[in-house]
Amino acid sequence: MSLRFLDPSGTTRVRDAINSDPEFKLASRFFSKDILLIVGEAKCIVKLREGVVAEIKLNPTFMNPWSFFIKGSVETWRKFLQPMPPPFFTDLYGCISRQHFELGGDIEAAFAHYWALTRMLDVLRELENETAATSKPTEAS
Amino acid sequence: MAKLDPTIGRYVYLAIDGIEYRVYFEQNGAGIPLLCQHTAASDGRLWRHLLNDEEITRRFQVIVPDLPYHGKSLPPESIEWWRQEYKLTKKFFMEFQIELSRALGLERPVYMGCSMGGQLAIELAIERPDEFRAVIGLESGLSRARMAPTLDFHDHPRISNEFRMQSMYGKTAPGNPEKYRREIAWTYGQSAPPVSKGDLYYNFIDHNLTGGEAQRIDTSRIGVYLMTGEYDWGNSPDQTRILAEQIRGSKFVEMKGLGHFPMTENFPIFKSYLMPILNEIALNAKRRGQ
Repeated sequence: MSLRFLDPSGTTRVRDAINSDPEFKLASRFFSKDILLIVGEAKCIVKLREGVVAEIKLNPTFMNPWSFFIKGSVETWRKFLQPMPPPFFTDLYGCISRQHFELGGDIEAAFAHYWALTRMLDVLRELENETAATSKPTEAS
Repeated sequence: MAKLDPTIGRYVYLAIDGIEYRVYFEQNGAGIPLLCQHTAASDGRLWRHLLNDEEITRRFQVIVPDLPYHGKSLPPESIEWWRQEYKLTKKFFMEFQIELSRALGLERPVYMGCSMGGQLAIELAIERPDEFRAVIGLESGLSRARMAPTLDFHDHPRISNEFRMQSMYGKTAPGNPEKYRREIAWTYGQSAPPVSKGDLYYNFIDHNLTGGEAQRIDTSRIGVYLMTGEYDWGNSPDQTRILAEQIRGSKFVEMKGLGHFPMTENFPIFKSYLMPILNEIALNAKRRGQ
């Protein structure tokens, strides 16, 4: 089963969920970067412009540039996105430190926008664990 | 009638290596002195729940300083500190605890510290066993040198204290009260930019017990207790276990459901692990007539 943020039918909903999150709105000021998320063989680029997720591009090619990347196996992402992740899979820095995730590219930008970045991942976790009963219908893009 | 907190804060002047420091500390309780050291780039507020705990303060005089350059302890007036890089050394850190203890007239206090304070617990047990009756190290280990390459990001003109706040929030365990996890992060947002890197110089570089130094500890002279949170990815329970195995007579407990800041992120759980240790220390003191 694919992770929800990589599901082609749900990217608009993921984008809107991140953009409407009150904490993300506070944290994401001045954030204009393209974040490559790598989940095993699957990839997407979250494109941020002035603190807003403008687009989530699935299956990017080498023609789609990115600022920095977060790379992990499917198993790592699944553990990380659990509502109660196991020890050492609870947050981004811990996963990097323990070499479950790899952070690369412009890591200075990743640390400069660390609050927004980690809040965005928290929203992905919330979406991943949302039950069908609580999820909102997907909006048309 | 005002609702007053039982904890009292005041200042004491300490001379360390010929420099006078005006040091802020908080205290509450009476009995066996219990000196509590905060983590890197935070301050004594991390111990506020312990300071106000009636069961503990009935038998222990809890003392919580802000290390110089932290919290309400300003940099010293007698040096141009702004012309030199702030760096916490093992030597200064140890001397600080001993000078504070002497200045307050404490009789062989119990020392308890977390993270960098937890590392110091082991250094004190190795080098100054006669000054303390016991040490309690939270989140202690032999070395954290593998994190040294990250030091520059802790004091960087394009990376604000937000990074520190959020990275420390991430070292708390999920499931603990959100208000306390955020409070820990808040204290990290309030330290001056160079402090984190300077403190971590001690934590990542100056503290290194990989040469077997901890094996020299004689637990018949000083009790050694080690406690580490299950979720602490910075210094995991397994890392503390390796340290504990080197100290004959030491006691180690893994604290389930807690992260790198056990005394703050969920005090009731932390207390449930701490009380047997404090009871043992109190019992030992009674046997020895202290």
